[in-house]
Amino acid sequence: MRSSGINQVRPRNKYELMIDLRRFGEPRLRGKYLFLSRIKSGRLRDLVDYLHWRLGGYYSTSIGVDERPLDGYFHVYHVFVLEEYGVYVLVDLIADPGHPVVESITPVVPAANWAEREIMDFIGVKFRGHPEPHRLILPDDWPENVYPLRKDYPYDDKLPTSDKIAKLVRESSPATWEPEAPGDHTVIPVGPYHPALHEPEYFELFVEGEKIVDARYKGFMVHRGIEKIAESRLSYNQVSFIAERICGICGFTHSTAYCQAVEEAAGIDVPERAEYIRSILLEIERIHSHFLWMGVAFHLLGYDTGFMIMWRLRESIMDLAEELTGSRKMYGANIVGGIRDKWDIRDDKAALIKRMLDEIREEYLKYIPKIISLEEIKKRTRGVGVLSRSDARKYSVLGPHARASGIKTDVRKYRPYAAYKYVNVEIPVLDDGDIYARMIVRHEEILASIDLIHRLLDNIPKTPLHADTSYIPERRHGIGCTEAPRGEDLHFVITGRDNKLYRWRPRAPTYNNLLSVPAMLRGEYLADAPIIIASIDPCFSCTDHVVVVDLRSGRRRPLRTRGVVGGR
Amino acid sequence: MKLYRRSLWVFHLNSGSCNGCDIEILNALAPRQDAERLGVKLVGSPRHADAILFTGPVTREALPSVVRAIQAVPEPKIVLAVGACACGGGIWHDSYCVLGGIQGLYRVLKSMGVAPPKTIYVPGCPPKPEAIIHGIMLARGLAGQRQARSEYFEEQGPAVKAEEDLHRLFHKCFPGRLPPKTARVEWGVTRY
Repeated sequence: MRSSGINQVRPRNKYELMIDLRRFGEPRLRGKYLFLSRIKSGRLRDLVDYLHWRLGGYYSTSIGVDERPLDGYFHVYHVFVLEEYGVYVLVDLIADPGHPVVESITPVVPAANWAEREIMDFIGVKFRGHPEPHRLILPDDWPENVYPLRKDYPYDDKLPTSDKIAKLVRESSPATWEPEAPGDHTVIPVGPYHPALHEPEYFELFVEGEKIVDARYKGFMVHRGIEKIAESRLSYNQVSFIAERICGICGFTHSTAYCQAVEEAAGIDVPERAEYIRSILLEIERIHSHFLWMGVAFHLLGYDTGFMIMWRLRESIMDLAEELTGSRKMYGANIVGGIRDKWDIRDDKAALIKRMLDEIREEYLKYIPKIISLEEIKKRTRGVGVLSRSDARKYSVLGPHARASGIKTDVRKYRPYAAYKYVNVEIPVLDDGDIYARMIVRHEEILASIDLIHRLLDNIPKTPLHADTSYIPERRHGIGCTEAPRGEDLHFVITGRDNKLYRWRPRAPTYNNLLSVPAMLRGEYLADAPIIIASIDPCFSCTDHVVVVDLRSGRRRPLRTRGVVGGR
Repeated sequence: MKLYRRSLWVFHLNSGSCNGCDIEILNALAPRQDAERLGVKLVGSPRHADAILFTGPVTREALPSVVRAIQAVPEPKIVLAVGACACGGGIWHDSYCVLGGIQGLYRVLKSMGVAPPKTIYVPGCPPKPEAIIHGIMLARGLAGQRQARSEYFEEQGPAVKAEEDLHRLFHKCFPGRLPPKTARVEWGVTRY
């Protein structure tokens, strides 16, 4: 009998869940991972609906893997996080290489849109029933039927840049270039090089008078082929360094998430001291990232004194990082299985760090409470760019952005990793959902992080710094999650042979948060657009995706390559 | 070397960098280092700039915009390639969708018939703000060059040497015969 799942008894633990999921396919439980393969025909969307909307889980990401050398098929894994059961459900779909088509889940879970299009670009698996099967990441002059993440494509095969680019450069001089406007709205192009943006991203804002009615954005200018490089020419321990280069602001959290994923896959237990050092460095990174955000936010609000104060204070944090790791950024401390020897925190250094932190805290409290209680700041940020709690759930936003909209979420607290298992993490949650709330959440997080580093330094145990990693089994799946300064950061790995990864897929938090930007921009003043975009703390080098959203109809269209020089 | 006499107005051009160098550039202009005391000013449009602070390995997607931004800077112009990626492609140098730093970009410019501008290299991943300021001072003729040209050849690893020794021994024992083909031993796991 085909039951819909509504009248069923809700499974109480992961074992009952596994038995329950036999309705849809063949479940297999391995630790935290529940693999579901051989999905019965026509039941995929029911399954996704059940996992995402009924069981209280949420869709995280999708990964396409070319496993033809191993079993002759392309695989697509949809990852669902079920915090209540403590498992990740991996829905494993198989596509025949002769006719690589699988069913799309985007009609049921809209958040899967980008991830599925990414797989179409990189692996060449088509999704049946996808609402907009267009190219997402690869440049427009990339040839059809060339899929870079297939195993038979060499990582260093530089296709010659076509004449199209030279033609494009010649033809698209500013005098002849006009963006197409829907209806009779005025179009304001922002980017890719613009004083308000520090990264190459391109926005088009459609305005009626001073009000924004529509917004488009385009990214993927920072696609550097990191996954392919890691799978082709780097060993396990080298990937943790390239993972740090995903982002120059929150790099260490990426490298930690990667190491955790491999450790999960190989069953390596990280020594406690390494976990503490990882957590301390992660918190330092969070503080400097929030300082940076605050400075940029004040700058965009036209309050440059605040910007200068924040960036002067931030230099002390950079000194702290330099004292601990030898570099201001790109700490280079992580390897699979722990921390490198020279990155140990000795007792004399711990005392120095504590003293420096106290100075930073004192200096910080001298200025910031005064700045954020300024009437001008409040007037520019209160009630601006509001994201309601229900909207935040819809777009499944993460991190401080979600916490400012009243959602209690934090990987550190609810899925603790590293040394957060041993200490209590306070998470500030506000209900207002406006830019001011996001500012206050980050302000409180800075203070909480400083306290947390003190507590971690007090309790740091004496154990070795790294575990033995001489044996990493082949074809194991692992997922590593960390709370980046911007939200949940998820890394998925499949281990391979010859000391190399078979597949690695990082997913940064801005991926989810960016989707909420058009909703916040609608009906706001043009002058507020930069601070609204910046209020999610976007990190494009982490995310890099293209999406075009028509706010009125909610329809999405592709956007062709066009550059516009900033400051026009 | 004195490329520019007066205050240098710079435009910051990110061609697909990870943000590390970009934040360090802003740090150089922030109160601690305060590059503005040297007459350096960050401008919003390439048309107002004398020099480009160039970061990133030049991705294919960003290429058209990067070329146009560089062309928009009036002559005479200077390019400061900031960071390992801009200097030579960095860790991405041979990736399929990266042109490989500023040299790759200049190859495209040459194919379009544009002469590449004078370039100062500031290596580092990311370079410290002091290094970026040193690059700017170099352009102004206020500081001297720190590094001379040197060439680097990778030494052959122990596995290769062992293989060669084996071949020499084989030739000694069986003169005139080709040695059997052996699979080259890969370097072992890097130890930290």
